[in-house]
Amino acid sequence: MSTPVDTLNTAWMVWDSLAPAVKGAVLEYTRELEKFLAEIERRAFRMAQVALRDSDDALDVVQDAMIKLTRNYASRPSAEWRPLFYRILENGIRDLQRRRTVRKRIMTWLPGPKEDPDNEAQDPLENVADAAPAIPEKLMQAEAMQQLEESLRALPARQREAFMLRNFEGMDVAETARAMACSEGSVKTHYSRAVHALREQLGEVW
Amino acid sequence: MSEQQRDAFEMRTRALFQDSVDNLDFATRSRLTQARNAALEAARGHSPWYLRWTLWTPAAGVTAAAVLGVALWLGSPSGQQVGILAEGQSNFEDLELVASSEGSGDVMEMLQDDIDFYDFADKASSPDPAA
Repeated sequence: MSTPVDTLNTAWMVWDSLAPAVKGAVLEYTRELEKFLAEIERRAFRMAQVALRDSDDALDVVQDAMIKLTRNYASRPSAEWRPLFYRILENGIRDLQRRRTVRKRIMTWLPGPKEDPDNEAQDPLENVADAAPAIPEKLMQAEAMQQLEESLRALPARQREAFMLRNFEGMDVAETARAMACSEGSVKTHYSRAVHALREQLGEVW
Repeated sequence: MSEQQRDAFEMRTRALFQDSVDNLDFATRSRLTQARNAALEAARGHSPWYLRWTLWTPAAGVTAAAVLGVALWLGSPSGQQVGILAEGQSNFEDLELVASSEGSGDVMEMLQDDIDFYDFADKASSPDPAA
C-alpha cells in the first residue's frame, strides 16, 4: 500500500502535468480572440464611421464592442463571435445616436450660438486641401465612396445594418439574422429594400 | 433591376468599401490596435470559467487535502493504532492525559491514594504478563 506522502506526490504530479495544459488553453483562446479582432476591427470601424459620421465616436464604439465581447462572450464558440460582435456594435451605435439626439434637443433649449454638436470636434486642418496631387482614379473612388456613405446614412437603420453586414462584412443570411436579432425573412426584406433605395439614389451618378 | 445589375452594384459597393478599409490612415490603425490590446487585456481578467486559475487552484487544494485525508485514513486503520498503543506505550501516558484534562485534580488524588490497588488491577486485566 502506498504511503500518504506517495499519494500526495502523485497528486502534485498530476496537477503539475495539468497546469501547462490549462495555461496552454488560455493562451490558445487568447490568440484566437486576437486573430478574430484583428481580422474584423478595420471593417467594423469603417461601418461605425459610416453610421456615426465621426472617427472618434466610431473608435469608441468599436473598442466598447471589443471589450464587451471579450468580457462577456469570449467563452462562446468562435463561430458565434462575429454576429455577437456586430450586435454589440450596432447597439453601441444606436445608443450613441440616441444620446446625440437628446443632446441636440437640449442644445436647442439653451441660449447661445446654435452649433451642431456633431461638428464640434472637427479639426479645421481636416478641411485643408492635400498638397500632394491626387490620382484621378483614387479621387473618383473617394468621391463615389463619399456618395455611398451619404446614401447609406439616409437609409433606415435596419436597412443600413442589413446591407453593411451582408455586403461589406460578407455574412450569410442566417449569420446576419443572428447579428440583427431578427428572422432571416426580415434580413432578406431589409437587404432588398436597401439595395433598391441605394440604386435609386446612386443610379444616375454611378 | 436585373440580377446581373444587382450583382454588379453589390460588387462595386463592396470593392469601394474594401478600398476605404485598406486605405485607413496609420493613426487610426494604431488606435484600433490599442483598442484591441485593451480588449484582450480585459479578456485576461475574464477568461471562461473552466480556464480560471481562481477556480482551479482552490479546487486542486481541496482535492489534494481530500486525497491526503483518505490516504491517511486508509493507511492507518484504527485496529493498528490500538495494537501500537498496547505494545509500545506505557499506561503512564494515559495517566498524563487524564491529569492534563480539566477537573482531573480529584481523580489524581484518588489514584495516588490507591495506587497499589490500581497497579494490581491493571496487571490482572492485562493478558500479557510482560505488559
